[in-house]
Amino acid sequence: MEMEAMQSARPDAEKEALRERQREEGRRINARARRRKKIFTGIRVALNVVMALFILMPLLYAVSIAFMPSGELFTTSFNLVPRNPTLENFQAAISKVPLGRFVLNSFLVAGLITLGQIISCSLAAFSFSFLDFRGKNALFMLVMATMMVPGEATIISNYLTVGSWGWLNTYRVLIVPYLTSAMGIFLFRQFYKSFPISLYEAAKIDGCPNLRFIFTILIPLTKTAIGAMAVYTFINAWNMYMWPLLVTGDESMRTVQIGISMLNSVDSQSMTMMIAGVVLIILPSISIFIVGQKQLIRGMFSGAVKG
Amino acid sequence: MKRKFLMTTAGLLAAAMALGACGSAGSTATTAQSAASAAATEAAADTASSADSASSADSSATEVAADTQDKVTITFWHSMGGVNGEALTHLVDQYNSENTDGVYVDAQYQGEYDDTLNKLKSAQIGNMGADLVQIYEIGTRFMIDSGWVVPMQDLIDRDGYDISQLEPNIAAYYTVDNKLYSMPFNSSTPILYYNKDMFDAAGITDVPDSLPGIDAAAADLTGKGGAGEAISMGIYGWFFEQFLCKQGLNYVDNGNGREGACTKVEFDTNGGGLNIFKQWKTMYDDGTAPNVGKGGDSGLVDFTAGKSAMTLGSTASLKQILEEVDGKFEVGTAYFPKVTDSDEGGVSIGGASLWALNNGDEAKQDAVWKFVKFLVSPESQAYWATQTGYFPVTTAAHDEDVFKQNIEQYPQFQTAIDQLHDSAPQYAGALMSVFSEARQDVESSIEDMLNNNEDPQEAVDKLAKEINKAISDYNVVNS
Amino acid sequence: MNKKKGLAVKFGPYGYILPSLSVFAIFLFYPFFKTIYLSLFMTNKMGQAKLFVGLQNYIDLLTSEEFQNSILVTVIFVAIVVVLGMFLGLVGAVLCNKSFPGIRIFSTAYALPMAIASSSAAMIFKIILDPTIGILDKLLHLNINWINDPKYALVCVAVLTAWLNSGINFLYFSAGLAGIDEVIYERARVDGVSPIRQFFSLTLPGLSPIMFYTIVVNIIQAFQSFGQVKILTQGGPGDATNLIVYSIYRDAFFNFRFGTAAAESVILFLIILVLTLLMFRSEKNVNYG
Repeated sequence: MEMEAMQSARPDAEKEALRERQREEGRRINARARRRKKIFTGIRVALNVVMALFILMPLLYAVSIAFMPSGELFTTSFNLVPRNPTLENFQAAISKVPLGRFVLNSFLVAGLITLGQIISCSLAAFSFSFLDFRGKNALFMLVMATMMVPGEATIISNYLTVGSWGWLNTYRVLIVPYLTSAMGIFLFRQFYKSFPISLYEAAKIDGCPNLRFIFTILIPLTKTAIGAMAVYTFINAWNMYMWPLLVTGDESMRTVQIGISMLNSVDSQSMTMMIAGVVLIILPSISIFIVGQKQLIRGMFSGAVKG
Repeated sequence: MKRKFLMTTAGLLAAAMALGACGSAGSTATTAQSAASAAATEAAADTASSADSASSADSSATEVAADTQDKVTITFWHSMGGVNGEALTHLVDQYNSENTDGVYVDAQYQGEYDDTLNKLKSAQIGNMGADLVQIYEIGTRFMIDSGWVVPMQDLIDRDGYDISQLEPNIAAYYTVDNKLYSMPFNSSTPILYYNKDMFDAAGITDVPDSLPGIDAAAADLTGKGGAGEAISMGIYGWFFEQFLCKQGLNYVDNGNGREGACTKVEFDTNGGGLNIFKQWKTMYDDGTAPNVGKGGDSGLVDFTAGKSAMTLGSTASLKQILEEVDGKFEVGTAYFPKVTDSDEGGVSIGGASLWALNNGDEAKQDAVWKFVKFLVSPESQAYWATQTGYFPVTTAAHDEDVFKQNIEQYPQFQTAIDQLHDSAPQYAGALMSVFSEARQDVESSIEDMLNNNEDPQEAVDKLAKEINKAISDYNVVNS
Repeated sequence: MNKKKGLAVKFGPYGYILPSLSVFAIFLFYPFFKTIYLSLFMTNKMGQAKLFVGLQNYIDLLTSEEFQNSILVTVIFVAIVVVLGMFLGLVGAVLCNKSFPGIRIFSTAYALPMAIASSSAAMIFKIILDPTIGILDKLLHLNINWINDPKYALVCVAVLTAWLNSGINFLYFSAGLAGIDEVIYERARVDGVSPIRQFFSLTLPGLSPIMFYTIVVNIIQAFQSFGQVKILTQGGPGDATNLIVYSIYRDAFFNFRFGTAAAESVILFLIILVLTLLMFRSEKNVNYG
C-alpha cells in the first residue's frame, strides 16, 4: 500500500506542478477575460442606456407634459420639463370622465378575451396537430384565412347581428366576438408540431383523456407560446377602438380607448389635460406589465420548447 | 355526441377554474387575471373616491328610475366630450332632478359628430336607438331625407311655442321649406383672432377685414411685429364654406340645396371657389399663410404659442384660447375675413342641433319636446354659452346675469354676437346630403394644391368633379 | 360504451375546434360573405344593396388614381413598419441577451411600447411632431411640419407604428434568443469568430423559427393599422397617408358608399392573402433544426 503510494507520489507531484502551471495560466486568462468582460458589460450597459432612452423618450415626454400648465406647453421656447409642475391636468382629467371605471372595463374585457383565447386556441390547435379527421387541412386553411380579413370589412354586419340579439351595451358583446383567434391557433399549432406524436400516444396508452392531456401536459409545455400570445391578445383587446365605440352606449360600459376620446373634444382643445388622461390610462397597463413581466419573461425563457 | 359536447363544455369550465387557481399551469394567464382583479379593486376604490360626481350622478339616476316607474325615459345621444360634455351633463342632471314633467333623460355620449351620425345609421338599421340626437350642421340634409325624424316644427306647432325668441340667423340654417327641422342647440361662427401685442408692435391699428388685407399686413407683422407667420389658417372645409357665404355665393344648386336636393355644385361656375383657392394659394406662396395642417383646430396652436399673429377659429374656441394664452399677450377678435374687398355676404353657423326621432311613441315625443324646451330656455342657454363658448340660441339669454358677466369678463365674445347679427338669413349656408364627404374633399384638394403647387383653376375643377360624382351617386341609390 | 367511444373518436376532433369555429362562423365568415355580396352593389345610405353593378366597383377602384395611391402608400408603410419595428425589437433583444446589471429595467423598457394603445400614442406624437410647440423640431433645431408635409407624414405614422410594435417584437426575439444553445457561441468564440460574424451566422439563423412567425404577425398587423392614422393625419396631407384601411373607413362611414368600401376590403383581403401564401411557401425552406 505504502509502496504504491510512494511510487505514485512522484508522478503526482509532477502532475501537481503541471496543474499549478495550468491554474496560473488560467488565472491570467481569467483576469484578462474578466477585464474584457467588464469592458464588454460596460459597453453593453452604455448601449442599453442609449437604446432605452430612445425607446422611452415619447413616454417620458408625455409624463412631462402631463405635469405642465397648458401655458407652458404652448410656447416656442424649449420646454422638456415643466418649470412649474402642476397636478391640475390630472385633476381635470379625472373629474371630467370616470377613468377608473374605464380602466376596470378594459381590464375585464381584455382579461377575459385573453383567457378565452388561450383555451379555445389550445383546444383547436390540439385537434389540428394531434388528431386525424376528415377535412383537417381544409378547415385549417379556413381558419388561417380569417387572419387576413380586415376588421373593417365585418364591423357593420356584426353590429346588426349583435343588435338583433339584444346584446348591445353589455360585457359579452365586447368579449364574445373575440373569443378565438387564428393567430393563436397558428402559434400553438406551430409549437405542438415540434412535440413528437409519441408524447400524445404515450399519454393515450396511460389512459389520459384528451382534455387532461391538454391541460396538464400540453399547456404547461407551451408556456412560451402562451406567454407570447397572452400578451399579444391582451394588448390588442386593450387597444380595440371601433367596436367598443359602436356597441357601447352607456358611460359605465366604455373602455379606456373610448374614454380617452372623450377628453379629445371637438371645439376646444386642451392638450395637457388630454395627455394627463393618456398617462393615467397608460399607468395601469404599464404597472401590470411591469409586475407581471417577471412571470411573463420566465414563462417565455423557461419554455421547454425552442421558440 | 351531445354528451361529448357537454363534456367539452364542462371541461372548458373546469379548465378555466384550474387556470385561475393553479399557478404552475399557465402562469401568464393567472398573472393577467390576478393583475386584472387587483386593478379592479384599485380602480373601484379610485372611482369611489375621485369620480364622486360621476358615481353620485349614476346612483341618483338609478334612484330616479326606481322610485318613479311611471316616468317617461328618453334616450339622448350627443357628441359633447370634454368641457362641453361636462356642461351638458350638468344641464341634463339639473333637468332630471328639477323637472315636474315626469320625464327622465338618459344622456349618452356617442363620440364625435361623425361617430354619432354613423352610429345612428347603424342603430336605425338595427331598429333601436335614441329618441333625441345631436347632429352636426352638415348632417342636416341627410337627416331631413332620412325619414327617421319628426320635424321639430311639428312639436313646436303642437305646443304653440313661440320661436321668434330664437336667434333668427341661427334658426335660418335649420329651416327648410319654412319648417324648423331641428332645434339649434350649440351654434358657433368663425372669427378672426389676432395678437394685439404684435399688431401694436407692427403699428397696425386697423385689423384687416379681408384676405388681401391680411396679405398686405403680413410684412409688417412678421417684420416689426415679430411674428413667426402672419396667419395660421387651418385647412378646414368649414372655412371654405364660410368664405363662400362671405361672397354671398352658392355652394350647390337648387338654391344652395334649400329648395330641393342639390344635383351639382355651383362654386365652380359662379367663381366663388376659384376666388378662395387663388387667394389661399397667393397667401401660401407669399409666406403669409403657411400650411399648418387640416382641421378646425390646426391653426390655433401656432396662435396660442405666440408664433402667428392671427388665426381663424370657431367662437367656441375663445375660452380655450384665452386660457392657453394665459395673459402672455392680449387677444383681439374681429369678423371673419372677406375673400375680396368687395364682398357683401355674411357668415353662416356651425355646431349642431337636436333632432327628434320618429319612434311612434306619442308620450316620448312629448317628453323630448319638454326636454328640448328646457335646453333652449334662456337660463339653460346662458349657462351653456358661458360654460362652452357657443352662442346662446335664444336671444333672451343675453339678458341673463350669468351671460352679462361673461361678456364683461370676455369682451372678445361680443365680436361674435355682432358678426352674427350683421349677417342675414340668406347667407345661411348650403345643405347637401354628402356634406361630410364634400368637406373632406375640399380639405384634401386645398392641401394638394398647396403641397403640389397645382393651378387653382385645375384644383377647383377637379374638386367640383369629385363632389358632383358623390352627389349623383348618392341620388341614384337614395331617391 | 363502445359505440359512444366510436362517436367520440369520430366527432371528437371537431368538438375541440367547435368553440373557435362557431365564433369565426358568426363574426367572420358570415359578415365577410356579406361584404363580398355588398361589393357587387351600389348601396344606399342605410348600407342596403340597392343597385347591382357587378364588378364596376372594383373596376372603378383599380382605375382610380386615389386608390392606386392608397395601395402604394400602404405598401411603403408596411415595409417601413415591418423592417423598423423588427429592427428595434431585435436590437433590444440582442442587447439584453446576456445577463448584466440592470437587465430587468432595460428589458422592461424595450417591451413597454406594447402596453400603449395606438390612439394614446398618436395623441402623444401629435404634440411631439407639432411644428410650433413640438419637442422634435426644438431638439433638432428644425422647422419641419412633420405631419402636414407629404414628404414626412407617412414616415412619421410608420415610425410611430414601428415603435408601438417594437415592444412585442422584442419579446418574440428574446424568446427566440433564449432558445439558441449557448454552446454554439462558446465554440465560435474559441474558433475566434468575430461577434458580428457570430450574429449573422449563428444568431439570425437561430432565430429563424420565431422570425417567420414575427414577420407574419408584423405584416398583418401593419396592414390593419388604423387608430394612429385616424388621430394623427386623417389620411392626409392630401392622400399621403390614406392607407387602405383608412380609405375603407372613410368610404363606409363618411361617404355612405358601403359598396365601394366592401370592394376595397375584398381587395385588401386578396393582397394579404397572396402575401401570406407567399410567406408560407417560403416557410418550407426555413430550417427548423
